[in-house]
Amino acid sequence: MRNRNRLLAHAILIFVFLQFLPATAVAGDPEFHALVERVSAYYQKRPMRGMGLLSFIANRFTPQGVGHFQMAIFDDITSPRTALREELESSLQGLVGPDYQPFVRAQDNRGGDLTIIYIRESGKQSFEMLIISIDSSDAVLMKMRLRPEAMREWMDEPVERGKGSSHHGGSSAGK
Amino acid sequence: MNVTERRICINSALILFGAMLLGVSSPPACGQNPKLDIKNLEPLAKKASEVVDVNLDGSLLKLASKFMTDEDDREGLEIVKGLKGIYVKNFEFDKPGEYSQADVEAIRNQLQTPSWSRIVSARSKHDGETTEIYLMTESDGGKVLGMAIINAEPKELTVVNIVGPIDINKLSSLEGKMGIPRLSEEEKESTKKSEGHDEKQK
Repeated sequence: MRNRNRLLAHAILIFVFLQFLPATAVAGDPEFHALVERVSAYYQKRPMRGMGLLSFIANRFTPQGVGHFQMAIFDDITSPRTALREELESSLQGLVGPDYQPFVRAQDNRGGDLTIIYIRESGKQSFEMLIISIDSSDAVLMKMRLRPEAMREWMDEPVERGKGSSHHGGSSAGK
Repeated sequence: MNVTERRICINSALILFGAMLLGVSSPPACGQNPKLDIKNLEPLAKKASEVVDVNLDGSLLKLASKFMTDEDDREGLEIVKGLKGIYVKNFEFDKPGEYSQADVEAIRNQLQTPSWSRIVSARSKHDGETTEIYLMTESDGGKVLGMAIINAEPKELTVVNIVGPIDINKLSSLEGKMGIPRLSEEEKESTKKSEGHDEKQK
């Protein structure tokens, strides 16, 4: 019983500790962190806290062939830049860098969401996917590593998966 | 006429001559470009509830070819290796009748040049679906340079543009991949449904 309580206390301590870490520190990907910083500077807004923990947990539940999942959410974006979709789209490529190729662009006029999916090669047998989903008030950034079997599913059905991403903020990746 | 004026005059004549040369040489090159201006469909995006663009240009196709490693992919891989791009634009509408054939004219007009020819036009009265397939061939009618597919359903419109040399006999290996619709299945389905309902032209 005493052991169980000690474990529980450790778990709570780790949870509390993770809550106070910067948004993406848990993932430890400096490149994603730099991207989050660039987007943060663009919107003049810090990402939501606790995203590192969420990414850590999400990594335990990613579908087969998907890993290194990281996420950052910017909520209550009030920047006038969000209204200028064309300016935003041209700025996004600058923010993500030239390595990422825009692959799918999904625009959901019902909810006002715009989702752009970028991919790039990452080593011999894996690919990195970056999903940026923006609506009038929030922006979500997701990065994940896809093994060929997961990437192949995207290549087979890019339209359907693009639609899925715009509805579910990218949660359909690799499913 | 002093020296400076003469120099300006000669330079202008040279520029004019160069422009004339370019003018003479460029039209055939432009006429043989199988890449459609899909941006022409942009006004339709405002009517649609959902718009998806798939952009597989040279570098992404190279990437895609890396995981076409199955035995079944061999023919598809051969096609993809030679392609310059696959572009798909899909519009989804809330209700039927939210777009008209006139909206699709922006694309059809581009396919009216002599280098494009329609090879398939299938229409299903039963579900109101039409499929048109166009090919761009070299002026001597030889090599296929590109392809366009217009698939119109009451609540959905898809335009596919394949740019680059295509072996039509091997195209079936790419059906259902990279946003290219499963044409043979659709044709089979519409043939099945057609008994007494559909009309089909080829």
